[in-house]
Amino acid sequence: MTTRTWTSVGKTVAVVALLTFTLFPVYFMLSTALNGQNGSGTDSLVPSDFTLDNFSRAFTEDHFGRYMLNSAIVTVATVVVSGALAMLGAVAIARFRFRFRSTMLVLILIVQMLPAEALVIPLFLQMKDWRMLNSLLGLILVYIAFSLPFAIWNLQGFVAAVPRELEEAAYLDGCGWWRMFRSVLLPLVVPGLVATSAFSFVMAWEEFTFALTFLSKDDRLTVGVGLQRFFGAHVNDWGGLMAASTMVTIPVVVVFVLAQRRLGAGLVSGAVK
Amino acid sequence: MSADTSAAAVTKDSGVDPDKSTSLAKAGAWARRAPLLPALIFMIVVTQLPFVATIVISFMNWNAYYPKDRSFAGLDNFKTVLTDVNAREAIIVTVLLTVGVVLISLVLGLAIALLLDRKFKGRSVARTLMITPFLIVPVAAALLWKHALYNAQYGLFNGVLKFVFGDSAPQPDWISDHPLIAVMFSLVWQWTPFMMLILLAGLQSRPMDVVEAARIDGASGWQIFTNMTLPHLRQYIELSGLLGAIYIVQNFDAVFTITSGGLGTANLPYYIYQTFYSAHDYGTASAAGVIVVIGTIIIATFALRTVLSLFREESR
Repeated sequence: MTTRTWTSVGKTVAVVALLTFTLFPVYFMLSTALNGQNGSGTDSLVPSDFTLDNFSRAFTEDHFGRYMLNSAIVTVATVVVSGALAMLGAVAIARFRFRFRSTMLVLILIVQMLPAEALVIPLFLQMKDWRMLNSLLGLILVYIAFSLPFAIWNLQGFVAAVPRELEEAAYLDGCGWWRMFRSVLLPLVVPGLVATSAFSFVMAWEEFTFALTFLSKDDRLTVGVGLQRFFGAHVNDWGGLMAASTMVTIPVVVVFVLAQRRLGAGLVSGAVK
Repeated sequence: MSADTSAAAVTKDSGVDPDKSTSLAKAGAWARRAPLLPALIFMIVVTQLPFVATIVISFMNWNAYYPKDRSFAGLDNFKTVLTDVNAREAIIVTVLLTVGVVLISLVLGLAIALLLDRKFKGRSVARTLMITPFLIVPVAAALLWKHALYNAQYGLFNGVLKFVFGDSAPQPDWISDHPLIAVMFSLVWQWTPFMMLILLAGLQSRPMDVVEAARIDGASGWQIFTNMTLPHLRQYIELSGLLGAIYIVQNFDAVFTITSGGLGTANLPYYIYQTFYSAHDYGTASAAGVIVVIGTIIIATFALRTVLSLFREESR
């Protein structure tokens, strides 16, 4: 064989090894979730008995459906409120010049870098004072604050990219600020809103530390902590466990696929350019 | 003086007649700021004030079990964190975990990026599939590794060992034999795609004409890699490594899920959780939190410097 075929064989082997390394755990999760017979580890390498029973069982057992609903409420509230607040903030930063503008920008960046561990104690005590432990609202408040910095930074780039002349044209046509915002600015920054919403969504859906410390009542848990409890209670129900893990992951995949094009471009260009 | 210039700037900006009273200009300035205020106030109340509170608590004796003994403690809590055996161990584990995960996933990410930078059939599909581990919810990934892969009786690893080597195959208990490595490996699996994405972006921004020229001059693949590709990628490697480090220093869910902080895998975030949630020692836990922040700031400063130097490179 020529060296050329050898390189291409090598490349194929490398790509296959690579995909095995990254995909196999996920494949295993899916095949176990869809398999009716899953007594032990190797049974599901090749699923033999296709079924959706595991999903319906996992969803109705204990409070798992409730965890999904709680997480959906928390996540949607976080995305909507932080999106609205960030949109307003981004307009102010991108369009208006005022004193302390750069101070505020730096302040926002600092918020982004604070780890949860540095805030969890006073926030826990505060929520306890307000009797908001075990309330989804308490969690939503914290998540909004954590998703705002990235949302504002990201959105203000999109707002700044809209030419001012467009806004001025709208004013000349007799629009007020609100009308201009709704009919000119907002439609043009929709891609930015999609990307920021996807980030807030994933953050709120996957957050663990605050959910673990704030929530203790079983019917109030969100998916991260809930999934953990579920695993503890059903150690032997392999199909159910993997079905539950799959259900928790599906929303993230859906959001990613929906936002992928904008997200991919934004992620790469924003990081290094 | 700055007040004057800003007022002037405001009047000029808004097109208001400069002869009008300054109070109008001031009102205008506030109207400009107003849209930002809700978000700003929200962030200050929910993140900045608690952070100040954490710093204050870190200088206090405050244990919920002894509510009457609340007092100023000076630097005692910090002394405790830096001398206590568990806390010191937690610091060492944090460093080991962060360095280990970042280095291994960087090397793997680089190898994968180099591979996916070459042309082959189905390359774009392979690229998309590679991101999958990043999409799995971290807790679900940790549970998957713990129960489906590492488990000694029904786990996939031991199942495969049995399948390949027969009934006499070794059946190690992965998590209790190598707890830290088990945690590390699940994190490497999750973080490699992230490193790969940034490094791939770096590879694609490489000026190919220069590489072609080097090849024509007779440079070998290895020479091109060490003398051209690596130096070009240096900043991208630094950036992805530092960004990854910021997150992995703070990692809590993997440690909590896979080992519950046992078997010598408790890192600083876990130590904080334990000190605060189980021992109710708010003072010591806050001091440990402040130390995590200082560590994060140190890493973040380097990260920012790298980002800035990338900016400069672009504008040159």
